Amino acid sequence: MLKLLIMRTHGRFEWIRLPEFCLLLILVVSTEMLSAQKNGPFSPRELKKLSVEELMNIEVTSVSKSPEKLTEVASAIQVITNEDIRRSTVTRLPEALSLAPNLQVAQSNSHDWGITARGFNGAPFANNTLADKLLVLIDGRSVYTPLFGGVFWDAQNVLLEDVDRIEVVSGPGGTLWGANAVNGVINIISKNARETQGWYASAAGGSFLRDYAGVRYGGHVDTNFFFRVYGQRFDQNSTTWIDSTESHDAWHMTQGGFRMDYVPGNSNTFSFQGDFYGGMADTGNTIINGQDVLGKWTHRFSENANLSLQVYFDRTWRDLTASDFSEQLSTYDIDLQHHFPIGSNNQVLWGAGYRMMNDEVENSISLTFTPAERRLQLFNGFVQDRIMLVDQELYLTLGTKILHNDYSGFELQPSVRLTCTPSPEHTIWAAVSRAVRTPARFDADETTPFITTRNGEFDSEKVVAYEIGYRIRPVQYISFSIAAFYNEYDDLRSINLNDAPPPALLFANDQQAKSWGLEFSGNAVLTKWWRLRGGYTFLDKRFTAKSPAVFSGSDLFEAIDPHHQALLQSIMDLPGNLQLDITGRYVDMLPGLPSVSPQISAYTTFNARLAWIFREFEFSAAGQNLAGKRHGEFGSREIPRSFYLKGTFRF
Amino acid sequence: MKTTTRHRGLQNFAVLRKAAACCSCILFSVVCLPAQRTTSRENQVKAVFLFNFTQFIEWPASAFNSPDAPFIIGVIGNDPFGNYLDETVAGEKVMNHPLVIQRYKDLGELQTCHMLFIGQEDPQKIKTILDVLNRRHTLTVSDYKNFAYSGGMIRFYTQENKTRLQINLSIAKAAELNISSKLLRVAEIID
Repeated sequence: MLKLLIMRTHGRFEWIRLPEFCLLLILVVSTEMLSAQKNGPFSPRELKKLSVEELMNIEVTSVSKSPEKLTEVASAIQVITNEDIRRSTVTRLPEALSLAPNLQVAQSNSHDWGITARGFNGAPFANNTLADKLLVLIDGRSVYTPLFGGVFWDAQNVLLEDVDRIEVVSGPGGTLWGANAVNGVINIISKNARETQGWYASAAGGSFLRDYAGVRYGGHVDTNFFFRVYGQRFDQNSTTWIDSTESHDAWHMTQGGFRMDYVPGNSNTFSFQGDFYGGMADTGNTIINGQDVLGKWTHRFSENANLSLQVYFDRTWRDLTASDFSEQLSTYDIDLQHHFPIGSNNQVLWGAGYRMMNDEVENSISLTFTPAERRLQLFNGFVQDRIMLVDQELYLTLGTKILHNDYSGFELQPSVRLTCTPSPEHTIWAAVSRAVRTPARFDADETTPFITTRNGEFDSEKVVAYEIGYRIRPVQYISFSIAAFYNEYDDLRSINLNDAPPPALLFANDQQAKSWGLEFSGNAVLTKWWRLRGGYTFLDKRFTAKSPAVFSGSDLFEAIDPHHQALLQSIMDLPGNLQLDITGRYVDMLPGLPSVSPQISAYTTFNARLAWIFREFEFSAAGQNLAGKRHGEFGSREIPRSFYLKGTFRF
Repeated sequence: MKTTTRHRGLQNFAVLRKAAACCSCILFSVVCLPAQRTTSRENQVKAVFLFNFTQFIEWPASAFNSPDAPFIIGVIGNDPFGNYLDETVAGEKVMNHPLVIQRYKDLGELQTCHMLFIGQEDPQKIKTILDVLNRRHTLTVSDYKNFAYSGGMIRFYTQENKTRLQINLSIAKAAELNISSKLLRVAEIID
């Protein structure tokens, strides 16, 4: 069947064919359905094949039951599991995020990506992309930078083997998650050290991914104290310019780290983890390095009452040696969270946190921040109550977050959510929430010869989001979810013509926007050897300028997004211990922003992986972006079709 | 005269029991089908753990009457597994002993078994069951909170949404059960 799809498509398959393919798929699959019901992944036969460790790794309650997840039920959440990652061709974290159907992921060069939810992927530059409306947490550690409100994706690497899951919430997570969760939250959750016992070693080599090596060892001191250490290194080749000449953005990164988990009894868990990394990108001869450590203590009072305290330190440094610009950011953070019931109908969650960020830059001629060194403090507190209105069926969640930051002072982020579960198979939810993006140094402190902010006065960007969603599990191994949203943004960043130059341009808060869209996703265990997951997202928006001074193109500077995108991942076990996995992706056209990013035509591409499992070994051959010789995703660089071979050992 | 009545009474009782058994069979099949479907994933995992225990724990030869005598897994009190446990052990053997499931409604029905899952939360009842089993080669398993601290051998619990084990090694050793290190290294050991 897949052959059919590829044959029809002559190398670059047309999206229009996919509905037919889907129909065919449903036909074939419906005959397999009954047996899938009987012999799904949780049949005795399948479970008996698992080792004791694997059995212990099975999530035994649904997300909605575990108290810490209650808040996420009434939201558009998508989960990428460890298996989804393993059964794809991705080799790095940002690539793994492209497996979430509700994220817009566009690679702008060999080491950087524009990643956002519900749009607003800002202009791509050589070292970063101005996507600044997402909160990204790696095991609770925030990795967006106050320099520009976005993420330096090249510095965010994890050992993908040890990632338990990636939760992607599209829509404001402002009430619980804090600043910057305007359009979404990405939560990267690594496995407990207990679940990563033993050896893992992997090596790969190929055409775009030049080489990769990763190793981890997990052990234990006694039955309550587990640890792991890991290291990895990769070299990535350069992309090309549109005229197919090399664009000199090859890079490499070496990273190591550890995690310890101590569970002295039933009520307390302690974890301590850390990472260090260093690397270099040819783009502007950028040198990157950093270290982080995080400790977390959780105390359980009862089944649905717990307290957790988390402390971390993160230092990250980058030096654009070609332009003499460097930045060092040191973050100190402490967070407390307390969850408890009041009576049988109220679940209360409250918390408080403090973050101090020391940001030091060495200014270059073209990129200047004033003052060069800045200490930023962020205080926040939140409280939320989940009230059961009708027994097990109707819940109302009310909450608000209050935060204080150095640029815009106090900010309030309230939300109201209603969840209705008439039966365990159906969930209908609706939410109204307000979220803010607090100003970044880029907005307020920049003083270049071309652009500045008048008196450093920049207000926070605000959104009020209206959402509605439906989740259904018609049969045990098939689930679908659909979410629709309407967002109203105010005080968005604008580039204004300066009536009293120099400089010629000013940053201001003079744009408004409305955006609306639809997110559809599904996950289906069709047979015991075949699983499909994927989704479709529609997105549209309209900007309005609040002042005649707003420079045309200011809207595209903030948001270059596709109207349509779709994802389909097929995970298939073949006889003879073979695995065949294919991921297809369609992304609609992106408008061009003159002199920053050319128009990108719509593309369909797919990645494929064939693996053979032999005892503790796994050998795989993978191809990425197979549909065309190369294609542009974001900016003026193009991503090549590529291949790699990989060997993995798990013991 | 007296004896006859009593005899007839017993006969009647036997008939009644048969009828009840038939009824419960029909009822069981009706009730059990949906019940089986709703066996939670948590209990499915536990059922497979019970099976794994037979593979990772060694019973002394004296625990069996003959080399091919059945290996009996008993369930007393609430049975959370439905048919899932039966499906799990169907056709399986330990050494040469075929695995058999037996269910006991209460203590009065309890018979010799090699492993006993106790679906009870009442500490007093649990204590009585454990007392009855004392000095026999029976592996005792339960979800009960203080199980491994109050004379039981293996307790299931859920942590971070995953199934965990607590094992009281000294009590298992006293019953001459030899637990493999493969199982011990993933469990919390209580002495």
